[in-house]
Amino acid sequence: MAALGRLADGPVKRRAGTPRRRTGLLLALPAVAIFALLFVAPLFTLVANSFRTQTGAFTLDNYARFLGDPFYRGVLWNTLRVAALTTAGCLLVGYPFALYLRGRSPRVRNWLALLLLSPLLISMVIRAYGWLVVLGPAGPVASVIAWLGLTPPQLLYNDTAVLVGMVHVMLAYMVLPLMGSLDRIDPTLVPAAKGLGAGGWTCFWRITLPLSAPGMLAGAMIVFSLTASSFVTPAILGGPKVKLMPYFVYTQATTTLDWPYAAAIGFVLVVVTTGLLLGYSRLLRRGRGEAVFG
Amino acid sequence: MTSTTEAPAEATAARRGRLRLNGVRKALGGKEVVSSVDLETEPGEFLTLLGPSGCGKTTTLNMVAGHLTADGGVIEVDGRDVTAVPPHRRSMGMVFQSYALFPHMTVADNVAFGLRMRRVPAARRRRQVAEVLEMVGLDGLAERHPRRLSGGQQQRAALARALVIQPDLLLLDEPFSNLDAQLRVRLRDEVAALQRRIGTTTILVTHDQEEALAVSDRIAVMADGVIQQLDRPREIYLRPATDFVARFIGEVNALDGTAQGPAADGYACRVAGRTVAATPAGEPPAEGAAVRLYVRPEVVRVGPGGVGSGGVGPGEVGPGEVGPGEVGAGGEGLRGTVRETRFLGSRIRCVVATPAGEVRAALPFDARVPAQGEEVTCSWRPSDASLTAR
Repeated sequence: MAALGRLADGPVKRRAGTPRRRTGLLLALPAVAIFALLFVAPLFTLVANSFRTQTGAFTLDNYARFLGDPFYRGVLWNTLRVAALTTAGCLLVGYPFALYLRGRSPRVRNWLALLLLSPLLISMVIRAYGWLVVLGPAGPVASVIAWLGLTPPQLLYNDTAVLVGMVHVMLAYMVLPLMGSLDRIDPTLVPAAKGLGAGGWTCFWRITLPLSAPGMLAGAMIVFSLTASSFVTPAILGGPKVKLMPYFVYTQATTTLDWPYAAAIGFVLVVVTTGLLLGYSRLLRRGRGEAVFG
Repeated sequence: MTSTTEAPAEATAARRGRLRLNGVRKALGGKEVVSSVDLETEPGEFLTLLGPSGCGKTTTLNMVAGHLTADGGVIEVDGRDVTAVPPHRRSMGMVFQSYALFPHMTVADNVAFGLRMRRVPAARRRRQVAEVLEMVGLDGLAERHPRRLSGGQQQRAALARALVIQPDLLLLDEPFSNLDAQLRVRLRDEVAALQRRIGTTTILVTHDQEEALAVSDRIAVMADGVIQQLDRPREIYLRPATDFVARFIGEVNALDGTAQGPAADGYACRVAGRTVAATPAGEPPAEGAAVRLYVRPEVVRVGPGGVGSGGVGPGEVGPGEVGPGEVGAGGEGLRGTVRETRFLGSRIRCVVATPAGEVRAALPFDARVPAQGEEVTCSWRPSDASLTAR
């Protein structure tokens, strides 16, 4: 009994906790160092650059030029729209898949998760060119439509092509956090709700969906920000018609050699994306009980 | 839970809630978990499914709730066949081992959930939630989220959620096992008292034999997917029908012998050359059949061993032992030598070496403590011991 009592003793526990916390910091150090060196520091340089003229004097012109030009505002809007649609597409395709995976055996889950991650194993450029073949005028999709006696519509170089390509890549980033979130739901909650008179749909809307909000939130944040800043897939599948922010950052930096303006475009994208995600997460947080996030 | 709120369920519940299982079977993962379960409850009864893990008790409960579908057999509630009815169309209030409270809802919303599903108007819903929360002693915590409740409070919230829908049956799946020992005893007594007051037929699943004995009207002891014995706690304890029941619940003296024939008070048998008696658990055995007696330590009386004739004679009654009216009722008794005695507080443990093996007795604290090495006779009332075929 005495031994048991000592195990539950408060001060002993706390003394044991201090070195553990120090070890914890050490464990985080490499990641923090890389993050500071390769992200935070360049971000400051980027911001500083965006407030300079080509010759190095302070100016607000870069931002005035971007925000004052309806064309660039349109590009920004289009970028956010494609990112939002990709996020919605991933959620619509990914959520049922994550639900399906929840009830499977670990073996089936592992294989399907591998399948899900497989697009990430192929180079972005190759994957995008693959879609060019699939969606091209002589590709299988157009052939099937023609075989049905219909005129195949333009499948490439539009929003839809970019969306298809992006959802294909981003799906894993949505499904993995969703799976984690669904797995954390106590498996007796749905039977409990059923026992109280809730049918299958009611259980989903009132129990499963709200409790998987953290996973949806995490997945949506990753997909949205990655899509808004993606370059290769929109550039190849969107063609000359669909131009997104990263494309203009690229051309300003490499073709026009206007680095300060490229920095300003890049920073606008960072600020707007971050702002939207913060607002979005706050919105979700407010609707939820403290139990999920608190 | 000491409040005097009248639950609307009180008037009606007592007359409904008759559960009947007939030949219910279930296989899970290719293995038969529940083989063939028959049982019937009286309305208002508190019935416990008791058994070790894997005995099929939780599977049985889940079939009653509808979370699992029976492979065969019939489940009836008040004469209505519910075997194929999905859980949300049955009326079962269930308390899960993990409580299964919805973490994103307040206590009040958790409790109101079942009423919402039944489309109870808001005003009445609020009133019923307040009433049931007061009944379980949670008034004042209605707006808390489950995570900010203690284990006992979560348990009460889960109970309130199950009771507020005025279910046909209250199903409790190991509801006390996540609580510390003291709280477990207090809550189980509270739940038992509450159940008796509102009269909802209750099925409790537990592996804790003391809990089962303390709260149940009847206990069904399960092992390997079948009910071994279904009886009142006293009978389950004193007169186990099978070896499993005898050994699963508490400590027992198992004595092998040969059936002799009906005696004045029970059934006589020869054990190690002496005549003793017990009550047959099922059909009385044929004369000369091999039998086994189960005698709980608490019913064993230890008297001074008679020289010569043996047995408990009128002059040999000591304090706390065989009373004057019961002298010799158990036959001759078993003679033996006291091997050890130990004072355990509430009881005195006494081990007697007899020709039939060791007999353990738990004597009342004020009994005369026999000395080590003393010649004694162990006896018992035949109605307090069980006799089974071997």
